[in-house]
Amino acid sequence: MTSTLESVSVASASRAPRPPRRRRKLGAERRRAAYLMLAPSVIHLIWWIGIPVVATFGLAFTNYDVIAGTVEWAGLDNFREIFADDIWNLSIWHTVVFTFFTVPVAMVIAVIIAVLLNQRIKALAWYRAAFFMPHITATVAIALVWMWMFEPNLGLFNLLLDWVGVNGPAWLSDPDWAMPAVILVSIWKGIGLKMLIYLAALQNIPHDLYEAADIDGASGVRKFFAITLPMLRPATFFVFIVSMIDAFQVFDQVYVLTPDGGPANSTTVMTYEIYRTAFGEFDISAACAQSVVLFAFLLVLTVIGRRLTGKDGDEA
Amino acid sequence: MKRKVDARWVLHLLLGVGGLIMIVPFVWMILTSLKSRADIAAYPPNLLPDEWVWSNYQAALDYAPFGTYFRNSLLIAIGHTVINLMLATMAGYALARVPFRGRTVVFMAVLAMMMIPTYTKIVPQYLIAKGMPFFGGNDYLGRGGYGWLDSWWVLIVPGALTPFAIFLFRQFYLSLPRELEEAARIDGMGEFGIFARVMTPLVKPAIATVALVTFENSWNNFLWPLLVTTRDDLRVIQVGLAAFQLAERTEWSYLMAGSTLATVPMIVLFLFAQRYFVQGFATAGIK
Repeated sequence: MTSTLESVSVASASRAPRPPRRRRKLGAERRRAAYLMLAPSVIHLIWWIGIPVVATFGLAFTNYDVIAGTVEWAGLDNFREIFADDIWNLSIWHTVVFTFFTVPVAMVIAVIIAVLLNQRIKALAWYRAAFFMPHITATVAIALVWMWMFEPNLGLFNLLLDWVGVNGPAWLSDPDWAMPAVILVSIWKGIGLKMLIYLAALQNIPHDLYEAADIDGASGVRKFFAITLPMLRPATFFVFIVSMIDAFQVFDQVYVLTPDGGPANSTTVMTYEIYRTAFGEFDISAACAQSVVLFAFLLVLTVIGRRLTGKDGDEA
Repeated sequence: MKRKVDARWVLHLLLGVGGLIMIVPFVWMILTSLKSRADIAAYPPNLLPDEWVWSNYQAALDYAPFGTYFRNSLLIAIGHTVINLMLATMAGYALARVPFRGRTVVFMAVLAMMMIPTYTKIVPQYLIAKGMPFFGGNDYLGRGGYGWLDSWWVLIVPGALTPFAIFLFRQFYLSLPRELEEAARIDGMGEFGIFARVMTPLVKPAIATVALVTFENSWNNFLWPLLVTTRDDLRVIQVGLAAFQLAERTEWSYLMAGSTLATVPMIVLFLFAQRYFVQGFATAGIK
């Protein structure tokens, strides 16, 4: 304990105009150790994130020939090229539709589940696990299970529909039903994480608010709308932005459930088009231009999110 | 009092039904994996298998190299977890505890990299892997061959470090009291010793969280291994499953057996370590 006190006084002494020599030497040693500890991470991050990001933007404005290895300036040519492609424009629309239906529905379900789970009840961990399980399991593996459930003749869905006398559609091979099917899977998979963030936020709401409402004789539903929802506003914005960014980058379930862009290109999304352009047609520059467009969408969403959250904070 | 008991029952009913709906796909997956071929083709379908064909798993393993896929995924996930823990703890410690010029810049860069979407970097990442000099028949400029494509290098190295891990460790190291390191320093311990023997044992919750999240992401990763591997013996289980499905559309019991192999390890891990998962995902809010 004495040594601790001494060390504190030494530390404050080091802030004096002329630091003792020993301290300065120690500082240099510590810095050297820090540089060594940081070096592998910094090199890795520059190599696998820094350079690729710069390259994506660079390649988007150039013509890169994979086979010849030549690069020449192209200005906005790549962007003109991709927006002249109807399927790319369609994929933007599909991404927006997918996000528009997936995010709000999953959020509403998630907030209700979170409120129900935020009680002192038995078996809480089991319920939470059931709702969170879809999030931690591999999208590919579980998408195959959904594919089997969507099977037109033998699948679980059409079996259940048959019981109630409805003739089920062909789901994943029907251009009208493929996208709703993908959205359904994504909602199911997306509930868990949103619920968890809401659950964490709910635990920060002061209890006396509810006690005061109890004294006033407020009902459970009234308390939900008058206290819980307003108090959850920052969390809601956060969940909203994170989910939008996630939804704009949906790939795995689309790729597995509806290969090759789905029936009549009905489920092709931006990420799938980037994949197809880069690794199907090997048009690297066009793929990078598409990546930049996707990045622009995500950037706008993030900025809007920041604005909204920031404003919310000012009001409070 | 009676009203309260009733409300409790309603709560359990709602959560029970909701939870059941959420796990239906998992149950259906396991049930299908245990059905015979005739059972699967039966119309109308049976909910439970007529006979429980446990041999489906052995048959699936014989039919497609799911065993190899499983091993590959396991090795890669363990590799990612170990490397991420080693590099990110060191980096997080340096950023949190040692003052040096440019520290804020480095930290801001890590934060920015956390927010970079996959698709803003994946195409050049592929090109970098393909152009790795001296590998896979490449010359010193990385031309002529396949570089790192179809190798263990490309499966393990690029995804081995996440900015999120550095960020999380930095936050944890930052919260430790200064007296600890000062005392160790008086005792003559070097900076690395303080990091490894004094501070790191105190951030065990962060280690557990990062380890689980890294393992989970690595095990479930699909796009990168899909892009960089074509050899069957290097496929991870997610890519192997997707390939098997494209080749054998109707072998549903084998496919479900494979899906079970691909999901059950994560489910078991999650049920045992739920607390750390929940902590990790709730604080991070990102995958």
